[in-house]
Amino acid sequence: MNVNVSTVFRQSPIRRNTWRSMLRDPMTALGTGILAIIILLTLIGPFIVPNDSLAVKMSERLQSPSWQYPLGTDHLGRCIFSRLVAGAKTTLGISAFVIISVTLIGIPVGLLSGYVGGRVDALLMRLVDGVGALPEFILAIAISGFLGPSLTNLMLSIVLVKWIGYARVVRSIVLSEREKEYVLAARVAGCSTWTVLWRHLLPQIISPVVVLAALDIGKIILIISALSYLGLGAQPSAPEWGAMLNDGRPYFQTVPELMIYPGVAIMLVVVSCNLISDGLRHILDVRSR
Amino acid sequence: MLKLVKARLLQLVFVLFLLSLLTFTLMKLAPGDPVLRILEVDELAVTQADEAALRKELGFDRPLLVQYGEWMLNVLQLDFGNSYIKEKPVLDEMIARLPTTIQLTVGGLAVMVLIAVPLGLLAAKYPGRWPDHLSRFLALLGASIPSFWMGLLLIYVFAFKLQWLPTMGKGSAQHMILPSVTLGFAMAAVYARLLRAGLLESLSQEYIRAARARGIAEWRILWRHALRAALLPVVTVFGMSIGSLLAGTVVIETLFSWPGLGSMAVEAIFQRDYPVIQGYVLLTGVFVVVVNLLVDLSYGLLDPRIRYGKGELS
Amino acid sequence: MSQLLLERERNKVLPNGYETGQPVASLSASESVLRLENLKVYAQQGKRRYMLVHDSSFSIRRRETLALVGESGSGKSVTASAVLGLLPNSLHIGGGRIVFQGEDILLWPDKMKRRLRGKKIGFVFQDYQGSFTPFIKVGKQLVETIRSHCELSFNEAKSVALEWLHQVDLPAERVFNSYPFQLSGGQRQRAALAAAMMLQPELLIADEPTTALDVLTGERVLDVLTRLQRQTGCAVLMISHDLRHVMKRADTIAVMKDGRIVEMESAETLRLQARHPYTQMLLKARPLLSEIHRGFAMEAEAAETAQSTSRWEAEFT
Repeated sequence: MNVNVSTVFRQSPIRRNTWRSMLRDPMTALGTGILAIIILLTLIGPFIVPNDSLAVKMSERLQSPSWQYPLGTDHLGRCIFSRLVAGAKTTLGISAFVIISVTLIGIPVGLLSGYVGGRVDALLMRLVDGVGALPEFILAIAISGFLGPSLTNLMLSIVLVKWIGYARVVRSIVLSEREKEYVLAARVAGCSTWTVLWRHLLPQIISPVVVLAALDIGKIILIISALSYLGLGAQPSAPEWGAMLNDGRPYFQTVPELMIYPGVAIMLVVVSCNLISDGLRHILDVRSR
Repeated sequence: MLKLVKARLLQLVFVLFLLSLLTFTLMKLAPGDPVLRILEVDELAVTQADEAALRKELGFDRPLLVQYGEWMLNVLQLDFGNSYIKEKPVLDEMIARLPTTIQLTVGGLAVMVLIAVPLGLLAAKYPGRWPDHLSRFLALLGASIPSFWMGLLLIYVFAFKLQWLPTMGKGSAQHMILPSVTLGFAMAAVYARLLRAGLLESLSQEYIRAARARGIAEWRILWRHALRAALLPVVTVFGMSIGSLLAGTVVIETLFSWPGLGSMAVEAIFQRDYPVIQGYVLLTGVFVVVVNLLVDLSYGLLDPRIRYGKGELS
Repeated sequence: MSQLLLERERNKVLPNGYETGQPVASLSASESVLRLENLKVYAQQGKRRYMLVHDSSFSIRRRETLALVGESGSGKSVTASAVLGLLPNSLHIGGGRIVFQGEDILLWPDKMKRRLRGKKIGFVFQDYQGSFTPFIKVGKQLVETIRSHCELSFNEAKSVALEWLHQVDLPAERVFNSYPFQLSGGQRQRAALAAAMMLQPELLIADEPTTALDVLTGERVLDVLTRLQRQTGCAVLMISHDLRHVMKRADTIAVMKDGRIVEMESAETLRLQARHPYTQMLLKARPLLSEIHRGFAMEAEAAETAQSTSRWEAEFT
C-alpha cells in the first residue's frame, strides 16, 4: 500500500522559530516593537499618567503642553496624554474582546460544520451565506440605530458578522484535513470526536486563524474608531481615540493638536498590527510550501 | 451563466428576508415608544384617545406576525413608511439624497482608478524600483490611516491653511475634490498593490512572450493583454469590500456635511427615526447583493472561457 | 491584393539604411539569412555564472532548414530565444555575433529588434496553449500583429489574416472569430504558424512545434510548415529533441549537447556516417522503421520456426 507520509503524521505549522524569523525582517520587527511599547504603556499606564483621564477642569481647558499636562488639555480641561493612554486600553481591549469572541464562536462552528458535514453543514452554510452577505457596517448601523448608540452594541454588531469569516476558513481546512490518514488513524484507534477535533485538527487551524486575526485587528480598530467618531460607538466622555477626534473637531482651527494626537495614535497601532500580520503571513506562507 | 444569475437572485431574496426580519425585530426591541415620540414631535397635548388612534392607525395593536406581513408587503411596494421626525415618506427622502451619495461614490472611485491603475502598472513594469516601493508604502498607509482623520488633515491643510479648497458642503467641482480624495485614497493604495500582483502574474505567462515574439509594442501588451487577466482578482476584492465603501460614504458625508444617504442614516440614528434607518438598511442590503451579482457577471466578461464553457470547434 | 499591400510595406525603409525597393529575392542564395558566430549565453545567479551556450556557430540560408537537436537542457531553446532577443531576465548573452541578413543584431536596441520580430523573424512556440492570449479572439490577435508592423486598415489586415489561415488548412472565417480555447491543439499550432508566416519573414524559428501534439497532428503541422517554406522561400530553424523526427525534413542537422554543437552535418551524412558518439546514441534511441520491420520479420520467422519445430516434434516423438 502506498502511503503518503505527509498525511500520516500531523504537520505542525507553528514552531518556536516562527517568532524568531519574524523578528528578523526589519518591518515586522518595527511593527512588533511599536505594538509592544503600546501594550506596555497600556498596562503600566494607569500608574504613570500624571492625571485622571476623566477629570474635567474647565478652568484649564485648551492649554498647551506643559509638565503638568505633557500634551496639553482638551476642551474640557482633561489631560490629553492621560486620555490617550487610557484610550489605548479601550481600543486594545475592545479589539481583543472582538477577536476572542469571534474565534470562540467561529472555530467551534467551523470545526463542527466541516467535520460532521451532512445536513448540519448544509444548514449552517446556508445561514452563513445569507448573513455573511451583509457588510458589518450595515449591521452596526442597524443595531446601534435601533438599540441605541453604545460601545457594547458596536462590539456586538461587529462580532455578529465577523465570526463568519473565521468559521468559513476553519471549515475549509477541516474539510481538507478530514480525509488525511492521521485523522483516520486516530478514529480507528478509538479517539472520540472531541479528541480528534481538539488534539488533531485544532493545531492545523491555528496558524491560518492567527493570520486572519492579525489582519482583522487593524480593520476592527479602524471601524470602531470610525463609528465612535460618528458618535455611534463610544460615547463622548469615554477616552476612546475616535471619540476624541470627534471632540476635537470643532477646535481644529485653533487647537489642531486635539485632533492630531488621537489620529496618530490610531495610525500607529494599526500600522504595527498590519506590519506584524504581513510578517506573519509571509513566514507562514513560506513555511507551507 | 444563467445559473449564476438565478443563484444570486435567490440570495438577494434571502438576504432581504433576513434583513427585513432583522430590522423589524430590532425595531420592536428598541427602547422607547414610537407612538409617543411621533406625538411628542408634534408638540401638541397628547390625550389617551389620540394615542389610541395613532396606535391603531400605525397598526401597532395587531399581532406581531401580521404587522410584519403588512410591513413587508409595503416594503415590496417600495413604501417604507413615513419618517417619525419629518412625517414624510422615507422613500422620498432616500430618493432625494441618492444622487449626492452616487456623486461621492463616483468621485471616490474615479480617484481610486486614477491613482491605482498607473501606480499598479508602473510597479509591475519596474519591480524593485521607486514605483514599487511607493506602492508598498502607500498600501501600508492606506490600510492603516483612519479615513476620517485623513479627511480632517486634508481639510486642515488644504482648506484652512492654504485656503485652496472649500471646507465643506456640496456644490462646485472644487467641493468634490477633498471628499473624493479622502474616499478614494485608501482604496487606491490597496488596489494598486493588488493590480501589481495580478500584473506580475499575468506578465509571466507564456502568451505574453508569444505576443512579444510577434513584435507587438510593449505598452500594448501591458494594456491589452496583461491588464485584463490581472483585473479578475481586483474585481473579486472589490465585490468583497463594497461594505467598506459604504462605510466610507457614511463617514465622509458626515465629515464634509454632504446631504447624502450616509449622513441621513447617522442623523436618523441620533433621532431614533426608525423607518428611515430601516429604509437605509434595506436599500444598502439590496445594493450589496446587486453589486456582487455584477461582479459575478463581470467574470464572464473578463474571461470568455467562463462565458463559453470549453467547447471546441471540430 | 494582399500580396501587393505586403510588398508595399516591406519595401519601406528599414533600419540602418536598407534601401527601399530591395526585396529579399535579390539576396544571393549563398548568403546566409542567419549566421551565429561563437554565441555565448550564461545565467547569473548571485555571483556565479553558468554557461548555458558555449561558442555556438551555424548559418542558415534561404530555403534551407537547419534543425537544432538535443535533449532537454542542451541549450537549443536558449539559442533560439537569444536570436529573437527574448531571453528571460536571468539569462544574458556573453559574447559572439548574431548576424541577420548581414547585420549584427546583437547590438541593436530592443526597439529595433521588436520591428524584426513577427515581420522578419517568425517564431512558433512549443506549447500551443501559450501561443495566443486566451481571452482575445484569434482573428483580432492576427490583425493586431499585422497592424503592429504595417499600416493597413482593419479590413485589409483581416483579409491578409484570412488568407493565411486558409493557407494553413484551417476554416478561415470560423477560426478568425474563435477564441484560442475553442480550437484543438493542432489547429492552434497551425494558427500560430499562420501568425508567424503572415508577414513573410525571412526566417522562421520553430521551437519544438510538435512536441505537445500527437504524432499524426504533428506530422500535419510539419507538412504545412514545409509547404509554406517552399512557398515563401524563408529559412527555417527547427528545434527538436527527436533526431528521427527532423531527419526527413531538415537539410542540415546540428546536434547540441550541454550547450555545445557537437556535430553539424547535412541530414544524409548524419544518418549514414554519424561521427560523434552522442549523435550515434541519439540515432540508436529509436529504431528506424526499416529496422522495426526487420525486427518483426525476425520475430515472425522465429515464431514460424517454433511452430514448425513443435509440429515436427509432435509428429516424430
